[in-house]
Amino acid sequence: MMSSDSETSVLNTTEKPTEKPTEKPVAKPAAESVQLPAFEKSISEKIVEKFNDKVKIAFVKKDRIKIDVDKENVHDVAEFIRDGLNYDHVESVSGVDYPQDKEIEVVYHIGSYTDPSLSRQILALSTRAQREENPIPGNDATKLPTLRDVFYSVEFHEREVFEMFGVFFDGHPDNRRLLLPEDWADLPPLRKDFAIKGR
Amino acid sequence: MTNELLPGLALQKVDERIMTLNVGPQHPGSGHMRIIVQIDGDYIVACDPDPGYVHRGEEKMAEYRNYILNIPHLERPVIHDSCNVLYPYVLGVEEILGIEVPERAKYVRIIASELNRCIYIMYWLAIYGIFLGHSTMFMWPAGDRELLIDLMEKMTGARVTHAHFVPGGVRNDLPPNFEDVCLRQVNYFEKRIKEYAAVFYDNPILISRTQDTGVLSRQDAIKLGTTGSVLRASGVDYDLRIKEPYDAYDELDIHTNVMTEGDSYARSKIPWLDMIESCNIIRQALKKMPKSGSVRVKLKPNPKGKGFESVYKRVESGRGSLGYHIVSDAKPEPYRLKISVPSFRNLIALPYLLKGEKLGNMPSVYWSLNYWPVEADR
Amino acid sequence: MSVIAPKFKLSEFIKSLFDNAFWALMLMVLVGIPAVMMILFVIEMPVINGELLTPFLAFTWLADPSRTLPIIQAFMTTDMFKVMAFPGFGFAALLAAGTIFVERKLLAKLQLRVGPFYCGKLEGILQLAGDGLKLISKEIIIPAKADKPLFWAAPVMFVAAAAAFVALIPVAPGWVVADVDMGLLGVFAVIGFFPIITILSAWSANSKFPFIGGIRALFQMVSFEIPLILSLLGVVMITGTLNLSEIAASQSSFPWIVFLPIGAIVFFITMLAELERIPFDLPEAESEIVAGWLTELSGMMYGLVQLGTYLKLYAFAALFVVLFLGGWNGPMIIPPFPAEIITDGITMGPITLKVPGLPIFTQEMLNGTLWFVLKTVGVIFFIILPRGVFPRVRVDILLNLGWTKLIGLAFVNIFIALGLLYAGVLGPGGLQ
Repeated sequence: MMSSDSETSVLNTTEKPTEKPTEKPVAKPAAESVQLPAFEKSISEKIVEKFNDKVKIAFVKKDRIKIDVDKENVHDVAEFIRDGLNYDHVESVSGVDYPQDKEIEVVYHIGSYTDPSLSRQILALSTRAQREENPIPGNDATKLPTLRDVFYSVEFHEREVFEMFGVFFDGHPDNRRLLLPEDWADLPPLRKDFAIKGR
Repeated sequence: MTNELLPGLALQKVDERIMTLNVGPQHPGSGHMRIIVQIDGDYIVACDPDPGYVHRGEEKMAEYRNYILNIPHLERPVIHDSCNVLYPYVLGVEEILGIEVPERAKYVRIIASELNRCIYIMYWLAIYGIFLGHSTMFMWPAGDRELLIDLMEKMTGARVTHAHFVPGGVRNDLPPNFEDVCLRQVNYFEKRIKEYAAVFYDNPILISRTQDTGVLSRQDAIKLGTTGSVLRASGVDYDLRIKEPYDAYDELDIHTNVMTEGDSYARSKIPWLDMIESCNIIRQALKKMPKSGSVRVKLKPNPKGKGFESVYKRVESGRGSLGYHIVSDAKPEPYRLKISVPSFRNLIALPYLLKGEKLGNMPSVYWSLNYWPVEADR
Repeated sequence: MSVIAPKFKLSEFIKSLFDNAFWALMLMVLVGIPAVMMILFVIEMPVINGELLTPFLAFTWLADPSRTLPIIQAFMTTDMFKVMAFPGFGFAALLAAGTIFVERKLLAKLQLRVGPFYCGKLEGILQLAGDGLKLISKEIIIPAKADKPLFWAAPVMFVAAAAAFVALIPVAPGWVVADVDMGLLGVFAVIGFFPIITILSAWSANSKFPFIGGIRALFQMVSFEIPLILSLLGVVMITGTLNLSEIAASQSSFPWIVFLPIGAIVFFITMLAELERIPFDLPEAESEIVAGWLTELSGMMYGLVQLGTYLKLYAFAALFVVLFLGGWNGPMIIPPFPAEIITDGITMGPITLKVPGLPIFTQEMLNGTLWFVLKTVGVIFFIILPRGVFPRVRVDILLNLGWTKLIGLAFVNIFIALGLLYAGVLGPGGLQ
C-alpha cells in the first residue's frame, strides 16, 4: 500500500496538457531539495549514461521509473533494458491520447521475474506517435516500431493498442484486430474524439 | 452480398487436409470466446484465439465517471472476484489523492481479498472439472463455494459484485460476531477442499489425461510474460503478496506454492494449493486484526488529484497479477485508465501451447491457463 | 373456459358431425374390414377347446369370467406377447425408464444435490414422462445439406438394433423372445451393427462436430468388440454351448464368475465402452465436440436414440447376468401356489368362485424373474456408479486400452478356462 512517505515524492514534470511544447525536463533537478530513492535512481542513471540525451526521465518514484524516448530510439533502449538491466517481460502496454499535443503516447510497463533485486520494480518506457485528424488505421503516419522481437509478450497488447488508438506497429507479425468486431468502421474507440452516444 | 469484404476481414486459402473448427462462443467447451483451430486428423496445426465477444469498453466508460462512480463499474470484469479487481484501482486512487488507510481497514481488505480469491478459484475448478467430463467435480466446488459466498454476503451485503472497497478503506465495518462465523466456515471449507484430492487430483484418468500435456517450460513462461498460477506451475517463485506487499501483507506469514513440471496437471493443482494457503491467511488476519477502529477515511465530494500524475499499481488476484495504470490530470474523472488483466496476459500462451497438441487436450490446456474470458475482454 | 369456439354456429357444428361420421364409415369399410380379414387369414390363431380363437370369439368369451384366464394364458404363449410385453420391449422399456430415474437420483446424491424433485408427488418420479412429452413436442430440425433418408432412418435403425439385442436375452426358463440355438453368435452380430449405424448417422448430418464424434464412436466400438468377444469365449468353452438359455441353465449350482473373474472384469469394461458410458463417453464428449454424433438430432429423434441407448444398457447388463452371474438361478423364495384354489375354488362367505386357468405364472417363472431382475439391477447400479467418479478418457488412451491391455487380459482368461477344462475341474468330467 503506497503511503505518502516524506522521501518519496512525485516529480511533477511540466506535463500539464493545457500549455505544452513536447519537451520534458531531465529529472536531475538542481533546484529540488527532495531526495530520490537510491536504487531506482541508480537504474535511471545507468540508462541516461548509456543513451545521454536520447532519453528523458519523466519521474523516479518508489518502485516506479518512467522514461520517455523518441520512436527512432525506442528499439535500442528496449534492447538495452532487456540485456543490460535484466528486465525480461512486459506487463502491459497502454496508449494515452493527447489531442492537444497531437500525439499518442504508448507506455510499456516492463518488469522482471528473474532478477530478485528488480522483483518490485516496474520500468515505464514511453514513446510518442504522431496523431492525425482523420485516421486511417494502418495507412497513415501514426506508426511506431514494434517491440515484439525484444519482448515476446507484447504481441497481443500491441494489437489492442492498434485497434483502440490506430497506432500501427511496424514489424509486428500479425497486426490485426483483437477485441473489436470485424466490421468496425468508426474511429478507434479510445481516442478522445470518439464520444460514447449520449455523453 | 457483394464480393467486397468488410474492413477487417481477409480471405484465406485452405489446405485440403486441414479442417478449420470454430470452437466458438456457442460451444460447451469454450466460455465466452472463440478459438479457431485448424486440425489435421487429431492434431492441432494452428490456433487463433478470438476474444472480444464480451468487450464492453470498460476503460472508455471509466473516463466519464469520477473516482467513486467508477467503483461499481470497474468490478464487472470478474463479478465474483470483484474485490481483487478493484484492489489496485483503490490503491492507485489513494496514491493520487494522497490519503492513508487505517489499520483495521487494511485487514478487512485482506480478508475480503482472500475470500474472493477462494470463491473465484472454486468456480474455475468447477468448470475445469466439467470440461474434462467430470460432473461430480462440477457440483462439489460449486456447492462448497456457497460457504464463502455466504460470508461475503454477511460482510458486504451482496453475493457477487460486492463494491466493498472505496478509496480510503472499505465501505462498512464487519458485522458483529463475524470472526466466529468466519472461522467456523473457513475451517469446514478447508476440510472439504482437502477431500478433492481423492476424487480429482489422485484420479488415474485425470493424471493420464493432463500429465505431460501443454508443457510450458520456465524460460518460455518468463518470455511470454505469463502470470499467476501459470507462472508458479512452471517453476518461477513470484507472488506479489510477498514480492511487493501492499496493505498489511508484510505482517502475515505467506508461503508460495511452486511446481516445476509446467504441465496442465501442475497448473490445475496450484490454485487448489493456493486455496489452502488462503485459509491460513484468513485465520492469521482474523487474529492480528485490531479489534476496533475506523475503517474508512471520509472523502470530500468529487475528489481529485493535485496535478498531472500517472500511477501503476498491481495486486495478486485469483488469476495472477492485475495492474492498473491511471493517468490523472487534476480532474475528478481519470484521464486514462488502463487495466492490465492476467487473463489477457496469459492468452498469449494459448496459441503457443496448442500447436501440435491433440484435439482431445484442448479443453484441459485452454482452461488450465486460468483464463477468464470476461476479464480478458474488459 | 366458457367459450369453446369464439364463433360457434350450430349449423356448422352439425355439418362437422356429419363430416366425421362419413369419414369414419368410409375408413371402416375401405380399410378396417380388409384389415380384419387379413388378420384372420394371416395370423395364426390358437385353438382352444376345439374352437378357433378369432377376435370375435375372444370378445364374446371375455364377457364370461370363467373363460378369461385361459384366454389370457393362451395369449401369453403367443409370440406377440413375448415381443411386446414380457420379456421383450415392454419389460425392457420399464427397466430402462427405471434406470434413467435411478441414475439421475443416484448421481444427484453423490454430488450433494437432490435430482428430480418437483415433477410428480414423490421425489420427482414422473420426471421421465415430462421429459418424454417435452421431446415429442419439439421441432425436428434437419440440416440443409444433410442426407435426408439416412438421417431420418438412423435413429429408427438404432432402436431396431437395440430391440433385436433385447430379443435374444432369456429372462426366465422358457421365456425368451427368440430362442436361437446360436444365441451368443446372434448377440455378436447385433453388436456389430451399432458402429455402422452410428457412423451413418454422423456422416449423413454433414457437419463437422458429428463427423468427429462419429469417427470417434467408430474407433471406440470397433476396437472394443475384440476384447468383448474374446472375454466371452471362456464361458463358451466351459459350457460347450452357444445357446443363452442353456448357458443360464448350466449355472444352477454356481455362477461362472467364481471361476472366470478376469473374463467378467474385461467384459464389464468393454461393456462400458460399447455403451458409451462415462468414462468412455468420447463420442459424446461435450466439452470438445458439442454433443458428438448426437449434435444434429433434435426432438423425438434424440428421444429415440436415448431409448435405444438405455435398451442397450439393459440388454448388456442382462447379458452379463446370464453369462456370468447365473441368469435366473437362485434359491426359491416364492411360496408355492396353494393347490386348494385350483380344486375347490375361492370361498368368501356363502359364495364359492371356481376360476379355471390358475395359476397364470408358475412358481418357477416368478422366482426366476425375480432373481433375474435383482441381479440386473445390481449390475446396472455398478454401471451407473463410474459416472460420478471419473472424468472422460482421451482417444489415444482409450485405443491403447482396447487394443493392448484388454486383449491381453482376455487371452489370460481363455488360458484359465482351458486350464480348468483340461484339468477336469469343470466340464463334462468334473463338477456339475
